[in-house]
Amino acid sequence: MTADLAALEGTCPSCGEPVSTGDSFCESCGTELSPPVASTVPPGYTAECPVCSVDPAVPSGAISAEGYCESCGRKVPSGRDHCELDLGLLAGVTDRGLRHSRNEDAMALATTGTPAGPVAIAVVCDGVSTSPRPDDASLAAAQVATRTLLTSARRGDDPAEASCTAVRSAHQALSRLSSPGQAPSATYVSAVIGSDAVTVCWLGDSRAYWLAAGSGAARLTTDDSMAEEMIAQGTLAEADAMASPQAHVITRWLGADLPEPRPHVVRFVPPGPGVVLVCSDGLWNYQPEAAGLAGLALPAALTDPLGTATSLVKFALDAGGIDNVTVVLAPFPLAPFRPPLVSPASLPPGGPAT
Amino acid sequence: MTESGFTVDVDQNQYLPAGGRDVSAIVTVTSAADAGVSGTGPGGTRDGSAEIIIIDCSGSMEYPHTKIAEARAATAAAVDVVRDGVRFAVIAGTNQAWPVFPADGSMALADASSRAAARQAVAGLRASGGTAIGQWLGLARQIFEAYPAKLRHAILLTDGQNQHESPEQLAAAIRECEGVFSCDCRGVGTDWEVSELRTISTALLGTVDIVPDPSGLAADFAAMMENAMGKQVADVALRVWTPQHATIKFVKQVAPTVDDLTGRRTQSGPQSGDYPTGAWGPGESRDYHVGVEVTSAGVGQEMLAAKVTLVADSPAGAKVLGQGLVRAVWTDDEALSTKINPRIAHYTGQAELAAVIQDGLEARKQGDEETATAKLGRAVALAHQSGNEDTAKLLAKVVDVIDVETGTVRLKKQVEDADEMALDTRSTKTVRAKK
Repeated sequence: MTADLAALEGTCPSCGEPVSTGDSFCESCGTELSPPVASTVPPGYTAECPVCSVDPAVPSGAISAEGYCESCGRKVPSGRDHCELDLGLLAGVTDRGLRHSRNEDAMALATTGTPAGPVAIAVVCDGVSTSPRPDDASLAAAQVATRTLLTSARRGDDPAEASCTAVRSAHQALSRLSSPGQAPSATYVSAVIGSDAVTVCWLGDSRAYWLAAGSGAARLTTDDSMAEEMIAQGTLAEADAMASPQAHVITRWLGADLPEPRPHVVRFVPPGPGVVLVCSDGLWNYQPEAAGLAGLALPAALTDPLGTATSLVKFALDAGGIDNVTVVLAPFPLAPFRPPLVSPASLPPGGPAT
Repeated sequence: MTESGFTVDVDQNQYLPAGGRDVSAIVTVTSAADAGVSGTGPGGTRDGSAEIIIIDCSGSMEYPHTKIAEARAATAAAVDVVRDGVRFAVIAGTNQAWPVFPADGSMALADASSRAAARQAVAGLRASGGTAIGQWLGLARQIFEAYPAKLRHAILLTDGQNQHESPEQLAAAIRECEGVFSCDCRGVGTDWEVSELRTISTALLGTVDIVPDPSGLAADFAAMMENAMGKQVADVALRVWTPQHATIKFVKQVAPTVDDLTGRRTQSGPQSGDYPTGAWGPGESRDYHVGVEVTSAGVGQEMLAAKVTLVADSPAGAKVLGQGLVRAVWTDDEALSTKINPRIAHYTGQAELAAVIQDGLEARKQGDEETATAKLGRAVALAHQSGNEDTAKLLAKVVDVIDVETGTVRLKKQVEDADEMALDTRSTKTVRAKK
């Protein structure tokens, strides 16, 4: 077996031609081999009324355009209520929680290989409940930003600049969703994890943490919130500020009602192995401390990001699940990039379907 | 504004506590100010509209003699503002009813010469005989039904009580007219019965008012006719869908007047019923209060408690003009579930205001001064709190206000009949709640 053949890991899911590790696109047909993924409604998902569909006495009713059962009126799960994404290098779980009627959080993930090594990208957005269509806002922002970050990473752009560009593209996406007097809005946090550094960019109170054993754990973001401002001004101690009714009032966000987004960007160089956590306030409400989160996530997150993200979400639900909760985990250093190819063994007899 | 020219807005607190079942919302329906809505036929004719003026010609209209004279003048004034191309007729009523113009019981097409002929016919009206309003309504209905007009409207003037037929006969006549035409009712003088005319105007989706002085009739008639001429979309209904096992507790118009539509439901689907709102002109806005009782769901669950669709009759079936959703979301956050929607609170107060005025005046009539004082006192306080100054002024003619905040009042010993009747007829006028 030659070296060239050793790199052949599978075939293109679209045309069936062989592709190599590290390819972003199939060299034969141009299909994107490792496209970004997001917490969208899964393909083929059929909405079913949670009440009427299990009651044999009730004929299965239609679902209205607004997502309600036309028989009993119950809000029908949108398919976004719970979503798990696993790209190998990183994984995320988002959940509606126990108190909200829909999941207004969204996440999008991407991975790619570059000459400088693998790159993992995560964006988490939390729709602002008081704005119209917050669920659409969060998903659109996360998807558009992740796409922008992925394209930049493949080009080898500076991650800090790319992060600001991604925020602008997400802002434009929200402008397209808006109409006069209607400005769908969301918080925003992105993490671009390279081989030597993590670039974090945010607006609002969704957070990124560095989770490491011992005293190494750290929060990477500073909330744009009234609580954080009160702490910064020295008006209130952290515990008192967080308990105040305005603690969760955010002072910056992504939305068409704001002219130009002014995100924060931070570059963090991990001193050693650990895990990058990107999350919405649905998680950190119940454990804001980096060390506490590290205690919950480690060491399992180093080897099983999806399983650990699931257990962190369960932790938030068990603690009350008062908000939507989203958890993304990326072990550092990143594992080698391997796009999720169709392996020869899994192909149906007679070759790939066309 | 939507393409239809109508908007439907819902204002509510959707949050319910665990186990909560009562959902309530204010639904605001607004028509566009620019007349983009249908109604004017081809070539600018308005054959979609028909108007009938019904004048009381009973003997009492001669006492004083100015009454019948002013009624003739008022009818002429109303005829003058009937627009070209509108079908119209004038009928007279005593213990029976007869067509005055056109004399053959048809409807004339309005133009300069038909209006002049109508004025001439009206000038010959004399007063003698009794009062049987059911007969008048019946004739109006027959005349209207001979023409296909969509927007049918009548003005009914009387000065006395319905003495020459039974209440059952009147009720049956009203029922037959429901959905056929709308009717604004006016009582002249103080010998008529407020509740009688209110029953007619409510059933026929019109207004009721007192014209204490006959000399005020002409301006009032012209204004009513102008308003009727502005109507462009007929037979608009609120179609309310509710989930299975839910009960509609009430559907009320709350602005510009309180008008309970709950009993006016006609079933329009397995889970929906229609509530009539009558005809609409451009730039109109009305508020409705909808109350629904739903089965309770768990904390965190959401339910569509009602879907309110504004529909208009059209040859192709019901045409949707707009839609609003009334939601229920169960929460254990008390700050959310206990929040009182200010507009719902305001209109609940306005509906109570109308009720306590009517109850108070009835008690006063029955000689129950204690109840009358308590009810009218409460009315004074409610009118004050809600800034309903017109009603407060009318109340002050019936009671001496000692303390407006607590609603402490004393019944006036001498009250003009006209003042009492004005308070009664205008008790349902509300003040608009700010959004």
